[in-house]
Amino acid sequence: MSANIKSFPGTPLSQADFDAGKVLTTYWKPKLEYGWDAGVAISRYLEELKNGRIIGVKCRSCRRVVVPPRVVCEWCWEPMDEWVYLEDTGTVNTFSICYIRWDASRAKEPQIPAVIYIDGASDAGFLHLLDEVKPEDVKVGMKVQAVWKPAEEREGSITDIRYFRPL
Amino acid sequence: MPLIERIQALRDAKVWYDNMPLESEYTAGIAGEKFLRAIKDRGVILGTVCPTCGLTYVPPSMYCERCFAELEEWVEVPSRGEVYTYTILTRSLEDKPLDEPQVLALIEMEGVHGGLVHKLAAAKLDEVEVGMEVEAVFKPEQERVGSILDIEYFKPV
Repeated sequence: MSANIKSFPGTPLSQADFDAGKVLTTYWKPKLEYGWDAGVAISRYLEELKNGRIIGVKCRSCRRVVVPPRVVCEWCWEPMDEWVYLEDTGTVNTFSICYIRWDASRAKEPQIPAVIYIDGASDAGFLHLLDEVKPEDVKVGMKVQAVWKPAEEREGSITDIRYFRPL
Repeated sequence: MPLIERIQALRDAKVWYDNMPLESEYTAGIAGEKFLRAIKDRGVILGTVCPTCGLTYVPPSMYCERCFAELEEWVEVPSRGEVYTYTILTRSLEDKPLDEPQVLALIEMEGVHGGLVHKLAAAKLDEVEVGMEVEAVFKPEQERVGSILDIEYFKPV
């Protein structure tokens, strides 16, 4: 019901007030470095992305192929340790058209994140960006192709794929 | 590839190294602003008084901790006080050894509920003791910026 509150308690300050030094402030930029262990399955997945390949893993029991890979099948509780190289093409399962970036800043040109089911996997895929396509032309079921960074720029990250574009 | 793999060094696992981008700019608040401005402009330490509880808060607070009354009365407190407690630091915030040990103390001024935590400059470490009288040494006016560090340190009287 904040629409009914006409004046909020507190001391309103604008960016101009800060710039003019109207109030005393303490600035801090901490060094927050981390090393995040990707784990057995994702480590392999990232390594293969650096090589320019998408790899998935197959369950011993139900024979599903999933990507990104994991070490245990969440359906059967059986180990998933049969590695399978997949295509770098796929199908758009769902998508979004975003005019707000990750840091809440506005974008003139929208970003189009999409879940792309990878060819060779059993209805499995990952989130990435679509590009070289107009927002109004994006359709669920659209066939897309990965656009990779050149080998020397790849660092073992999902961003080694720049985006997916329509086939 | 076996399921169970014993990785003993973090580098053998695929590790993603990165940095979390974070910046902050903190304001002092209404009471804090007045407190710091008094240190900067006048070289004095201010406190707020609760008439009901008879307590003088340093650092000054807008509300009484005990009865929640809004505190309107501001007073100047002495810049000298007693060491309530202290600690001796031998390493920096980055965990590097300090060239000289640094003494930090909570200094309680007379009649004040609370006090200020600050550096203590003592000629000899073994002369620091609870209850010793110390006095604030302010930086020259032109060097003061409106920070608690405008008080350079407290030194024994």
